[in-house]
Amino acid sequence: MNTTVLPDRRTAPVPPRTPLGLPAHWVQLRFRAWVSKREPPSDTRLLTQRNIYILPTRAGFMFAATLLVLLVASLNYQLNLGYVLTFLLAGSGAVSLHITHSTLRGLTLHVRPPAPVFAGDGALLECVLTSPDRARFGIGLSVLSSGGHQVSWSNVPARGQASTQVSFVPAQRGLHPLPALQCETRFPLGLFRAWTVWRPASSLLVYPRPEQPAAPLPMARAVPGGGAEQRQGSSGEVEGVRTYRRGDALKLVVWKKAAKALESGGELVSRDTSVAVHQQMQFDWQHCVGLNDEQRLSRLAAWVLAAQRAGVDYALLLPGSQLPVAGGDAHRRRCLEALALWR
Amino acid sequence: MALTLPRWPGWKHLPRDTRDTLFLLGVITWTVAPHVSHLPLWCTLLTATVLLWRAYLAIGHAALPGRWVLVVVLAIAAGLTLWSFRSLFGKEPGVTMAVSLMALKTLELRARRDAFVVFFLGFFLVLTHFLYSQSLGVAVAMLVSVWGLLTALVLAHMPVGQPSLREAGTLAARTALLGAPIMALMFVLFPRIGPLWGVPQDGASTTGLSTRMTMGSMAEVALDDSIALRVRFDGVAPPAHAMYFRGPVLGQFDGNEWRPLPPSSIIPRRLPANLRPQGPSVAYEMTLEPLRLAMLPLLEATGSAPTVEGVQVSLQDDLQALTDRPVLERLRFRAVANTAFEHGPQQATPALRDYVDLPANFNPRSLAWAAELRRQPRYANADANTLASALMQHIRSAGFNYTLAPGAYLGPDTIDEFWIDRRTGFCEHFAAAFVVLMRALDIPARVVTGYQGADPLPVDGFYIVRQSSAHAWAEYWQEGVGWQRADPTAAVAPERIERSRNLLPAPGLVAGALGNINPELLARLRSTWETVNNRWNQWVLGYSRGQQFDLMRKLGIDSPRWEDLALLLVGALSVLASCGALWAWWDRHRVDPWVRQMDRVRAALRGAGVPCAAHDAPRTLAQRVRERFGTAAEPLAALLLTLEAQRYSEAARPRPLEALTRQVTAQTQQLALRPAR
Repeated sequence: MNTTVLPDRRTAPVPPRTPLGLPAHWVQLRFRAWVSKREPPSDTRLLTQRNIYILPTRAGFMFAATLLVLLVASLNYQLNLGYVLTFLLAGSGAVSLHITHSTLRGLTLHVRPPAPVFAGDGALLECVLTSPDRARFGIGLSVLSSGGHQVSWSNVPARGQASTQVSFVPAQRGLHPLPALQCETRFPLGLFRAWTVWRPASSLLVYPRPEQPAAPLPMARAVPGGGAEQRQGSSGEVEGVRTYRRGDALKLVVWKKAAKALESGGELVSRDTSVAVHQQMQFDWQHCVGLNDEQRLSRLAAWVLAAQRAGVDYALLLPGSQLPVAGGDAHRRRCLEALALWR
Repeated sequence: MALTLPRWPGWKHLPRDTRDTLFLLGVITWTVAPHVSHLPLWCTLLTATVLLWRAYLAIGHAALPGRWVLVVVLAIAAGLTLWSFRSLFGKEPGVTMAVSLMALKTLELRARRDAFVVFFLGFFLVLTHFLYSQSLGVAVAMLVSVWGLLTALVLAHMPVGQPSLREAGTLAARTALLGAPIMALMFVLFPRIGPLWGVPQDGASTTGLSTRMTMGSMAEVALDDSIALRVRFDGVAPPAHAMYFRGPVLGQFDGNEWRPLPPSSIIPRRLPANLRPQGPSVAYEMTLEPLRLAMLPLLEATGSAPTVEGVQVSLQDDLQALTDRPVLERLRFRAVANTAFEHGPQQATPALRDYVDLPANFNPRSLAWAAELRRQPRYANADANTLASALMQHIRSAGFNYTLAPGAYLGPDTIDEFWIDRRTGFCEHFAAAFVVLMRALDIPARVVTGYQGADPLPVDGFYIVRQSSAHAWAEYWQEGVGWQRADPTAAVAPERIERSRNLLPAPGLVAGALGNINPELLARLRSTWETVNNRWNQWVLGYSRGQQFDLMRKLGIDSPRWEDLALLLVGALSVLASCGALWAWWDRHRVDPWVRQMDRVRAALRGAGVPCAAHDAPRTLAQRVRERFGTAAEPLAALLLTLEAQRYSEAARPRPLEALTRQVTAQTQQLALRPAR
């Protein structure tokens, strides 16, 4: 049978209702609120009896109905072997309840702090599952959100770890707490589903979505004392080298020299561009006329990326915060952070 | 469609999906295969075709057929079922439909729900085998089926990687084995209440004793080798020719059919049995298969009604043991019988006149034959015994034949046809003709049906009586004595009575070869097998309400009812469930033994003044110890490194070594007494 189609939870157009007539959605929300009240957020979570929930699946109810049919047939035809079959299956089902529960129990979940992403891009969360004792099979991790439900399945080896990734798409820029994650299993017989809801404490920094297509860069400003012509990165001429500093762009590393230096126990070397910078740019909030706030942030983000690609230094001027002219990855990160967190 | 066989990549190199599908198809084939002998040919062919087609699709990674194809094939299967059985309900059509559905469902394995339908249909198919046979062999074959289905279910819930079949099979077996105690508990304690509603006639056996008898009705029974009852005697068993198990007594004849006398006769039916036992009595224990009759076929003559759990037994004056309801479950009980006995009134009573009634205008030639006999001077005033011997003598000398296939007796005057014309038949023909002629001679007589004889060799102490031992004989009334048994079949086929059933099936190939090499071993194997089989029959198949109540009495409940059983079961299950919860609770508070070991080591080191944090590895601690105590700490440092190796090396131990932990703490305490460097 096809095992890849296992997770199929349809999104019904009409919200399903519970037997009491309450909307299932409402019950789910109340349940989640209750769960989040019980457990404070944390990046590492040991699954115990306290935070694992278990309920029969639809297949579990089907199984119960099958058992009932088998029992009635055994009763009516007085089949002792029919009783044996029915009770063997019932016993296996009851045992599978415990196995399903213990598949999660004792497992440690840990989420690695995620790297910042751009709004609209998928964010990958890497989770590490650790089993202190036996091997665990068929553990599904998913992001608990109201929309689609993508489960990534993994097995955890005995006294080992498994790393699994789930993705979700953050909608807005800013510093967001990580979404609640759901860890579930139906192993071994699929009659019960044990799950836990876990809110990691880490948060995710989401940069504004860069404008697409990007607007042309604003005019460069000549720096006093510098030449007017633009320096070509590919010209090959080396003005001077210095040791690598954190934040230097990789293209500034003089690889040939660096290889030799590393061989003799030295460090990476970069081009010394301090004298070669002839161009500076200023990305100013005020330059983006005719746009609303978010669009302005998008355009500024696109400019930051473009300038970084071009190897041009730049400054960022936002209402309330100003980042002076600089270059390098660290500067880029600071700028994007400022854009992400603005107001 | 060009049908080219896809390349077989070898079992080990199959993609996961294909392998799982082929495995499931194999399990389904194994489950369905024993049904082939009960299925119509078209269903076998359809199932085989569909399963092979599905395997072909799986190997070639081809798309499954559309839903409308399945609907059409299903409709055709339903139509063929209707055509084969004239019905869609009942055992045979039900099984046929279930097998067809199962095969077709394999073509529709799209989502998980479809897979579950296959599994649950599979469990249901397993049950249907027990409608035909509950033998040990079937049980073992179906256990394999259940294991296979559970393995496929486990495989379906291991979505990652390529788990081996062996791994999934082990997990499935473990689940089932852990569930076995629950199974045993429920099997022993689940109250065996009767059927919830009327069982269709096709329950377990279609043949058997009946309260009606027409000419030829027993021929089918005589070919049925299934077991009717088992009997074990305390002490010496009576000889086979004395083993008559008394079933329905048929006193009324309408020319075609024999029936019991209606209970509205002028005398109360429950007269004292008027039984006059002669000779020694023998106690016996009987295990009775469900015969679907409201009576127990007791050994003749059982003088007092046995006590049977759940059934009211009353002994009638014609020695029938009637029950208050049809017996649909297996019963086990004890009783005492005297195989030599007399019974019935010794003086004529008005009630006896019921037993000389003959339908008017039937069998005129037989009546004339009887009148002819009466006219002979020596029979003119003869008593019943003399007349009976005269009839027996006639049967012996007039060229009667005993055969199970006498052909149909169709005419209205069946007795004439048998007695005068064809003279071939089996027990019921002989008994019916004997009774009609005795009545024609004005002697009260009646047909008695039941079982006669048993398998010649007891198995594990039990004599087995099969449906094929079903028999009909006659009784006539002799003044001064009472009712006398006369078995006219014995007059024509004495071996039927003397040895009853003595034919062993021809040995199979293996048994034959084994018999040539080592006959003793073969005999021992056979007797072991029969013993095992009998234990199976007695303890698994024969387990019923009676044994449940015996168990309850042993547990100290004096007058058990089925409600007590239910309570006991619920109680025991609650205890088991609590054990499960307790285990989960204990599991929660269990600390990893390695963590516990490090806790102890750290506590000891802190006592010696060595600072250590929770994240410090043994290697770090060893370094710290060396720094603090210098060379004196070398042994302790070595121990700490050993400890680290034990936990993290390739051949890591499953648990920490207690002795090592103790050594470390002892060393630390010694060092603590020394001044720090």
